[in-house]
Amino acid sequence: MFACIFTPATLDGMSLSEFAYSFSPLLEETSADTVVIDVDGCELLFGSAYELANEIARRAIQPPSTGGLGRKVNVALADNPDTAIHAAKFLKGISFICPGEEITGLGDLAIDSICFELVGLEEKNFQDVLETLKLWGIHTFKDFAALPLAGVSQRLGQAGVSLQLLASGKTERHLKLKQTPPVFTNSIEFDYPISELEPLSFILSRLLNQLCARLNAYALATNQLQVQMKLENGSSHDRTLNLPYAMRDHKVFLKLLLLDTEMHPPPTAIIALKLYCEPVKPRVTQNGLFIPLAPEPEKLELTLARLAKLLGEGNIGSPELLDTHRPDAFRIKRFTLRQLNKRVFRKSQPRVSASPLPPFSVLAFRMFRPPLRALVEAAKGYPTQVSAWSADRSVHGKIVQLAGPWRTTGDWWRADSWARDEWDIAVESRTEKRGTSYQPLQVLYRIYRELRSGTWFVEGVYD
Amino acid sequence: MTDRYIELHTRSAFSFLEGACVPEDLIAAGHAFDMPAMALLDRDGVYGAPRFHLAAKKNDMKAHIGAELTVSGLKSKSFFNLPLLVQTRTGYQNLCRLITLMKLRVPKHAKPGECVISPEELAMYSPGLICLTGADDGPLANGNIEKGKQTAEWLVDVFGKGNVYAELQRHFNREEEARNQSVVEIARSLKLPLLATNGVCHAIAAQRQVADVFTCIKNHVRLETAGRLLAQNAERFLKAPGVMCRLFADLPEATANTVELSSRLKFTLEDLGYEFPKYPVPEGETMSSFLRKRTDEGARRCYTGQNGTPSYKKARKQIDRELALIEKLKLEGYFLIVWDIVQFCRRQNILIQGRGSAANSAVCYSLGITAVDPVGMELLFERFLSEGRGEWPDIDLDLPSGDQREQAIQYVYQRYGQLGAAMTANVITYRGRSAAREVGKALGFDEEIVGRLSSLVHTWEWKDPNDSTERQFREAGLDLREPRIKNFFQLYQAVQDLPRHLGQHSGGMVICQHQLDSVVPLEPAAMPGRVVVQWDKEDCADLGLIKVDLLGLGMMAVLEDSIKLIRDSYHEEVDLAHLPPDDELVYAALQKADTIGMFQVESRAQMSCLPRLRPKRFYDIVVQVAIIRPGPIVGNMVHPYLKRRQGREPVIYAHPELEPVLKRTLGVPLFQEQLLRMAMICADFTGGEAEELRRAFGFKRSEARMKEVEVKLRRGMENKGITGKTQDEIVKSIASFALYGFPESHAASFALIAYASAYLKCHYLAAFTAAILNNQPMGFYQPFTLIKDAQRHGLRVLPVDVTRSDWLCTIEEAEETGTTETGRDGYRGTGGNGLPVSLLAMRLGLRYVKGLSEVSGCAIELERKRKPFESIDDLHQRVPEVRKDELRKLAAVGALNFIQTNVQQTSACRPGETNKPQADLRSEIRNPRMGTHRRDALWQVERVARAAGPLFEALHERDANSPLAQMTVAERMSADFRGTGLTIGKHPVGTYRAELHKLGATRAVDIYEQKNGLAIRVAGWVIVRQRPGTAKGFMFLTLEDETGVANIIVTPQLFEKNRRALVDYPFLMIEGTLQNQDNVVSVKAKRIRPLSFKIAAAPSHDFH
Repeated sequence: MFACIFTPATLDGMSLSEFAYSFSPLLEETSADTVVIDVDGCELLFGSAYELANEIARRAIQPPSTGGLGRKVNVALADNPDTAIHAAKFLKGISFICPGEEITGLGDLAIDSICFELVGLEEKNFQDVLETLKLWGIHTFKDFAALPLAGVSQRLGQAGVSLQLLASGKTERHLKLKQTPPVFTNSIEFDYPISELEPLSFILSRLLNQLCARLNAYALATNQLQVQMKLENGSSHDRTLNLPYAMRDHKVFLKLLLLDTEMHPPPTAIIALKLYCEPVKPRVTQNGLFIPLAPEPEKLELTLARLAKLLGEGNIGSPELLDTHRPDAFRIKRFTLRQLNKRVFRKSQPRVSASPLPPFSVLAFRMFRPPLRALVEAAKGYPTQVSAWSADRSVHGKIVQLAGPWRTTGDWWRADSWARDEWDIAVESRTEKRGTSYQPLQVLYRIYRELRSGTWFVEGVYD
Repeated sequence: MTDRYIELHTRSAFSFLEGACVPEDLIAAGHAFDMPAMALLDRDGVYGAPRFHLAAKKNDMKAHIGAELTVSGLKSKSFFNLPLLVQTRTGYQNLCRLITLMKLRVPKHAKPGECVISPEELAMYSPGLICLTGADDGPLANGNIEKGKQTAEWLVDVFGKGNVYAELQRHFNREEEARNQSVVEIARSLKLPLLATNGVCHAIAAQRQVADVFTCIKNHVRLETAGRLLAQNAERFLKAPGVMCRLFADLPEATANTVELSSRLKFTLEDLGYEFPKYPVPEGETMSSFLRKRTDEGARRCYTGQNGTPSYKKARKQIDRELALIEKLKLEGYFLIVWDIVQFCRRQNILIQGRGSAANSAVCYSLGITAVDPVGMELLFERFLSEGRGEWPDIDLDLPSGDQREQAIQYVYQRYGQLGAAMTANVITYRGRSAAREVGKALGFDEEIVGRLSSLVHTWEWKDPNDSTERQFREAGLDLREPRIKNFFQLYQAVQDLPRHLGQHSGGMVICQHQLDSVVPLEPAAMPGRVVVQWDKEDCADLGLIKVDLLGLGMMAVLEDSIKLIRDSYHEEVDLAHLPPDDELVYAALQKADTIGMFQVESRAQMSCLPRLRPKRFYDIVVQVAIIRPGPIVGNMVHPYLKRRQGREPVIYAHPELEPVLKRTLGVPLFQEQLLRMAMICADFTGGEAEELRRAFGFKRSEARMKEVEVKLRRGMENKGITGKTQDEIVKSIASFALYGFPESHAASFALIAYASAYLKCHYLAAFTAAILNNQPMGFYQPFTLIKDAQRHGLRVLPVDVTRSDWLCTIEEAEETGTTETGRDGYRGTGGNGLPVSLLAMRLGLRYVKGLSEVSGCAIELERKRKPFESIDDLHQRVPEVRKDELRKLAAVGALNFIQTNVQQTSACRPGETNKPQADLRSEIRNPRMGTHRRDALWQVERVARAAGPLFEALHERDANSPLAQMTVAERMSADFRGTGLTIGKHPVGTYRAELHKLGATRAVDIYEQKNGLAIRVAGWVIVRQRPGTAKGFMFLTLEDETGVANIIVTPQLFEKNRRALVDYPFLMIEGTLQNQDNVVSVKAKRIRPLSFKIAAAPSHDFH
């Protein structure tokens, strides 16, 4: 005898499987809202099957704190799991279907409510069969069950036969018993609050060691490590380390976690610690003979973490140019080794064939970050004099040559649209001694004017 | 003006997604800068040239024509865009040929790079063209000086020294400037003149946003992800000469050369060189003499002076006048060519009839082009052709839609060569939902929002004046203050009416004396075997290209099919030209508005007018066709005419002199010809001036021109002493009428077809119904309504049956004779051979089985005619084209009910019985009309359509009786609607009659006997929904039940309150007041209630 428990609503606390485990360890999780348990042998604990069903229903409505679900469930008892599932899904409350009475119990159910997944049928195939059944005027389980088996087999094939057996409540199968998946969590509660890194490192080391040993036992690794620190003030300090590669080296994890904790220390002392890692398949790499040697990913990750600690998190990675006309548009993306070996061009962005410009126009350009705000004098729309200062540099002088303006405007549909005119200028700013005489020195700069505000900036210097 | 510059490189939206304004915008911007000329160089075409030319002409500018052609690279597989300007007519012809060459050798939707010109072809057709070196996609784009020199030298070789200009553009871009320096160096070394252009893509800077959106649409990306595909800045707009001169201050010759080059470009579209082909006449004849002879022959045949036709002598006078004008305008060839097409159709037994203003010509009538006698009807020839108009005449020919029209079109291609004739194009523009969807996608809205935005675009013709955009957006949950939504709205408005792609006009053909491809580029249409010109109908007319419209008319096909069916089934010959003119049945049906399926008089508005107009003779039908038009409605002509006709209002004339003109229409002007004659009588206009007046008030009306003509009209009337109120009245009637009125000749042509359709429906209902069903979709009603109407008139409609049905609907002799039915409306009871009509039934064709392909349907028909099917299995074996799902569909609609099934055969042979030979068994049990039921067939279909596999192939089902229950009546009805969109059984509303009776609903047929003002309830299926623009927000519904149709009027307020029920529900109950005015019965709705009948109804015809 099998009992199916069904509840249509999502559960907040305990899962349906966890609830069902309290009645029988032989459990099939058919779907998130449906579980089936084998109740044979439960008589000694719960009495008859009917009493068991009552007990399940009674306990389900109890609040989650007392081991219940906090809501009503449908419970159905039947001689085979599939009949129990159908009954629990479509008959409210407690149903008891005696062996041989399946069609009496399920006969009036609408044909489109048949659980085709139970016989491994795909939705599309089921819809095909259903369309035919509807054309035949088959509206209920009872109608379907009444069709001759051979006729159904000839017309609808094995799928039809399986569905008909389902509708008749005559399927025979074993439960697909649920096995609890391994959980990669480790936690500890301290006797006294910890507020220093050193004692924490010992505890982290032990927890990580155990965690990595479990990962190793399952031949798994992780690319995400979550740390939950329960703090003295009752709050929680959570950190997540996302790793570019799957790893399971507890020493590396420890260093990374310590570096991260140094960068993001909890506001108060820690009273409990919980570690969780997301298990994934381990990384398999094979170095090629002709592939240039690269640092080990674990070491690289550590180095990057150390650099991030020194420089700040947003300031480390690889610059990537953005596909836009917006001047100086780039972003810092996480540095990965893959970049060294592969050059990926997006198909949607055809490579702009850089036209071979005459050699005189090829100049290196050193950008000032941030650009220097400038005072520019202009005559007839052309800049004639420029002055700009900052703590470590100044640009000042008469503009003796210029080219421009080079105008870019864009992103007009966004609030941060831009419009600016750039000029390449030669500024005669000071003199330098050449031999015995002083010669004026010309320096090439790029200045630009924000067209909306009219403000001038010096963007950089041509080397 | 000191700064001299002419823009010689512009692109309009006719470059399809590469330009962001119409040619008129460019000209307007150029005119504002006092530019004396401008050139349009659209991508691979001259699509926008006519509009550019006409706009320039209006603004006293010179329009230079050219194009940017895609040319394949000299040595590589790459390609570049070469801007070419036309210098001479030869150059224009060469440009057209080049474009035609590249377009015609690839399919319509060729990929970029497939549709290119080879360097050799370019060399062959280079004379008369001037080449620019282009911009970032031009031949010198790569900036390499050495390679650039080679390319430039090659261009000089091809186009000649002095015909290649080194093009410079400045859009404030570093790379472009570097390229400019290379180009200058190349130009200096080869002594090429420099030429400044701005590579204009839009008239004003703000249109850059549209250009960016178009770039996204073209590349299937969103603005956010388009990146560097978008423009770097908004500098590609038309700049003032001063600005351009300042930009090129360091190279003044570059701007000066634009003026010099412009002066060299002599060609404009005025000088098109188009000649209509000459008609080949026998030796010793001229086209004039040949036309005269053919006309005379026809006139002698048509004008006999008998049966009310005018005498030959009377007609001859008019014909001579027309022929003199035709000869003067050198249009003999045109008339002969049209005559030739008509002759071809006659030879091929294709119905053909001229319509439109051509019916005003006695020559056309004599030549058999039109079927309306203009002499007898005193029609005005000037409406068709006049000397002062400077415009070619327009002859529209109606043909049966479908294959026969295609035959006529192919005849023209074959006679004038593929490069001598082509269809006119139809420029599809961004409008309504398509614009909303594409702009929404480019702005990055998700599907749901795009759907909501596009649904805001109104579908009803009527627009509520209070329905502001803000309100619409607010109701859809969209805030116009939100920048993205605001952007959408602005862009949506900006793209309205910009060209999207080129389609094919429904029937306009252009024919040319020499090669048409030297007049306008040709390109392939999406339809195989068709070639289109790059200009639309209006552009062709504006540039003086004569076109012949070969229009497909569904009703012509119905008439033709009806005649064939009558010949085969009634064994009678019907000649449409000689139908009895005053058939009582026809007029009785028209007077009762019993006109479902009849041409032009079946619409709801026509039906509500017919009982008041009560047509008694043919001319009344002409009036009836013309009166339900926006012209008479807007001009308030309908009610005065009807009142005068009913004798409720005296017949008065605005001026006594107008009596002869308006007498036939009781003093109310209803036709365009009357308008012309009014102007001729009241203001002493000539025929040509009067036509000019009509055109001024016509479709392309411009305020200035209208004012000008009105002043002339009023002056003329004052000279004749017509002043004050009378003058105003005449002017008003002319103004309101010219836009939407029908020419009398056109109305008469349509009335002929309307009469013929009415005659066939009244006398040969089975044939007419079968023909109209075979030509769906057409007309105002769905097949279901047509069938129910035919059934109400006594026609027996038989179901789809694979043992009887052809692909098309056919006529059968019904097996059960029964009583002779005459139909409740007195339709003729017997056919011509004395066979009772009730013995002729209409069999639905297989085409009505939804999802059955024509190939399968025709294969069934063919195979059955070879040998009847013995079983479903037999059908399956012998017609492999029929797929399993098709078999299932056939079974579901009962089309397999009458095949003798294997079931019966095998069940007749029980175990233990001696196995008789199969053939014997069949003969024992065969009773072909004792069918199985649909579920039996469905049960069998599933078995035969499933491959049994080698093991079970020989195994027969032991008890193969179907265990399935028969379909109930409701199930059958639903299956009918789902499977065929109609039912020949009981009307769905009829099945609920008992319930409706309890609810107090009156049947449609009974409301006609009720008194005006009575509170009434009607219920039925909504078969038509209308909200016309002229009805001030009123909605009109047509409800159908098992007894007929009821017309419902819904006020705007009630519509707003019940919008969902009225728009979404198929079955409604209406409570309201009965209005019965002169036998026009309708219900003015006060309460709407949706009915939840569980029937899969066919959708209504909604008119937007």
